[in-house]
Amino acid sequence: MFDLEFVRGPLHDGALAVMTIVYIIRLYWLTRFMAGKERQAPTGRGDTNSRKGFIYSWGNVGMPWAMESTRTKLFLYFQFVIFHLGVTAAILLMFSISFYFKDTPIPLPLMLAFRIIIGAAFVVGVIRIIRRIGSKYIRAISSPDDHFSLWLLTAWFLFAYMAAANNVANGEWKLLTFFIMGSVFLVYVPFSKISHYLYYPFTRYYLGKSLGRRGVFPIKRFR
Amino acid sequence: MAKERSYKAQKVIDRMGKKLNRQIVGSLVACVHCGNCTDSCHYVLANPGDPTYAPAYKADKIRSIFKRHFDWTGRLFPWWVHAKSLYTDEDLEELKDTVFGKCTNCRRCTINCPMGVDLATFNRMARGLLVSVGVMPEGVSVVSKDQWEIGNQMGVLKEDYIDTLEWLTEEMQMEDPKSPGIPIDSMEADVVYSINPREVKYDPRTISDAAIIFNAAGEKWTMPAEDWDMTNFGLFSGDDDLGGGVARRLFEKVVAIKGKKLVISECGHGYRSTRCEGPNWAKQDVSFPMESSVITMLEYIKSGKIKVDKSKNPGKFTFHDSCNNARSCGLTEEPRELLRLVCDDFQEMYPNRAENFCCTGGGGAMSMSEYTPRRLKSGKVKADQLKATGAEIVVTSCHNCVDGLTDLIKHYKLDMKVTQLVNLVANALVIEKPVEVPVEEVAAPVEVTPTEVEALVLKGYKILVADDEPDFVTFVSTVLEDNGAEVVKAYDGNQALEMARKEKPDLMTLDITMPGKSGIEVFEILRSDDELASIPVCIMTGKPELRQLIYERAVKPPEGYVDKPIDEDSIVLNIRKILELDKGKVK
Ligand code: SF4
Ligand code: SF4
Repeated sequence: MFDLEFVRGPLHDGALAVMTIVYIIRLYWLTRFMAGKERQAPTGRGDTNSRKGFIYSWGNVGMPWAMESTRTKLFLYFQFVIFHLGVTAAILLMFSISFYFKDTPIPLPLMLAFRIIIGAAFVVGVIRIIRRIGSKYIRAISSPDDHFSLWLLTAWFLFAYMAAANNVANGEWKLLTFFIMGSVFLVYVPFSKISHYLYYPFTRYYLGKSLGRRGVFPIKRFR
Repeated sequence: MAKERSYKAQKVIDRMGKKLNRQIVGSLVACVHCGNCTDSCHYVLANPGDPTYAPAYKADKIRSIFKRHFDWTGRLFPWWVHAKSLYTDEDLEELKDTVFGKCTNCRRCTINCPMGVDLATFNRMARGLLVSVGVMPEGVSVVSKDQWEIGNQMGVLKEDYIDTLEWLTEEMQMEDPKSPGIPIDSMEADVVYSINPREVKYDPRTISDAAIIFNAAGEKWTMPAEDWDMTNFGLFSGDDDLGGGVARRLFEKVVAIKGKKLVISECGHGYRSTRCEGPNWAKQDVSFPMESSVITMLEYIKSGKIKVDKSKNPGKFTFHDSCNNARSCGLTEEPRELLRLVCDDFQEMYPNRAENFCCTGGGGAMSMSEYTPRRLKSGKVKADQLKATGAEIVVTSCHNCVDGLTDLIKHYKLDMKVTQLVNLVANALVIEKPVEVPVEEVAAPVEVTPTEVEALVLKGYKILVADDEPDFVTFVSTVLEDNGAEVVKAYDGNQALEMARKEKPDLMTLDITMPGKSGIEVFEILRSDDELASIPVCIMTGKPELRQLIYERAVKPPEGYVDKPIDEDSIVLNIRKILELDKGKVK
């Protein structure tokens, strides 16, 4: 039913278009809610302000030492980093095959880089699946969407790993599966928890702006 | 067939739509259920293995309603994203148990969430929605009512407030006849000082200590005659109208008396409500500066307006950051700087500042007696933190934390005391006495020793001391007798009632937990008996967590309330205050 030409072209582009349109609608929906106004005069330490607060807040993701929850669980933090690098690499792989390499195999060094990152992300995905099912706390907060999103991405990593050579001779089905799953992923993203990165700038901006104005962000720790 | 929804459930859903703003919606949609916030919550740490205390689990109780009604995925595929509506009043009760009983809105999970999800903010929203349909813990309803109707959250009447300030002025003037005491409603003061009603009711010493400091600094200050409460139960109940109303009253009062600056006494939620959230709730820009009294006192010392001698505060101290001060207002450094100036031995508590753990009395928890066992259990984390400091005295800049910590110290049997910076600063004050100019031929005053002066203080009063601890009865009786009172003793509830009827005391001290009839029953019987109802009662208890049981009664509240352990000065001070307010003047 699907050939490589179709999944790399119209199917992939169509999925991308759907994702973009739904994203735009989603953002429009979010911005229709009025932002709460802060009238209070600045408080707290004089060496910070709203601007510093939201910059710190945005940068928080790259500062594992900033939060106790990451500082004390570095193993989880590095899982987070690898997993998200894996998503980025798999998307890049999809785009580079669709728009650049097409029928040419991916050069060995690049393929290895993709495989290392995506392979590690797959392993993290498996660990995360085990944690989501095994931890009482995580299980209690997990919805079918949480489980499905994680399974979908982990499986996608597996096929991305296998498809990374972009070599039809090695088995076209690997590429076909990678692209079909990638398209499902793109269409599913805006409806699922995976769209969290769309909200991240908003939530962290408002929190950072408010806590910066109140002298709380950047959090200072004194030992 | 569509499921029927109760009137209240429908109202909650309708009103949720009106409360949503971009910040709240962002927090409601952004959670990825990663669980990173789980062990930042003291409830989780104290209840290992129970996922219902996890911040994300609690947040989902609110999030599920939002998703079902306001988010497309939840509308289309509710089961897929755990979207769930509210139908019955039981659903509302269940939500109440979570948003009031399992979260103190401390914001510790907020600062530990990589996505920036601010659970405390939408938990407050959910509280407000429930309050709007009358679903709330009884204590929240009582306190909110008092703040709406009487103007302060402890229902202190204007005459009692003024009487207390005048009485404190007299006390100060007895010590120092030149003391200006407490100026009330002075126009164009540089500082308008606003307080927590708890200070009037249970802890007048914090008011007189602040007054002594203002006067020593030569400050042109005043306290408002009304609209003086800087606390705001709107923060806890989630009722923005109450929040705005209370803040506006105080702001307008400062403007009316042309005050130049509003100084807020040491209180975390009061500071946050007045200084930070007040203008937002009141939807008004405030034309005068506002600051915490901690900043004011620090400035006095740094500028040399007052001098302190830290050796007057011996002992090992630690500092507890109130969540509202530290995580929502950034007030972390000034209290430490001030503390180091007034004591020698300061030991930091870990974690601290914005990462500190809640005293567990936050978010209005002290007024919700139904959740007391849960609160005390969750306090294990704080108790361990306190213990690890090895300190004898924990200092905090929050009245709520004073009560919360006092409860924990008793419950976990820690050998510690709680105090506030204002008490330490006043105690460390060095007041330079003016050089006395000898006056010729002045008749020598009759010499009265301090013991003799004190001995007169309670002379002529008959006081009934009711407590089941013989040692405590002996201690209080001795103190009262040394001050001139006639003391009658009772060791259980039945005996207390019998003695009250027989002896008709001028005042009665009452323990809450006693054999026979409990202090609560005794108190209720006293108040309902025409003959005994007018006897002023001072509760003296080692179980402050039961305080609410007394205040929840449908009878006139007790005239005084003191936590054990209690020292001699506090006994005399509190008894005198009650007698003086009750009968006019101490005999
Ligand atoms: S609130 Fe934040 S830390 Fe907690 S589960 Fe959600 S995203 Fe993770
Ligand atoms: S706000 Fe505080 S009490 Fe509430 S869930 Fe978060 S950490 Fe726990």
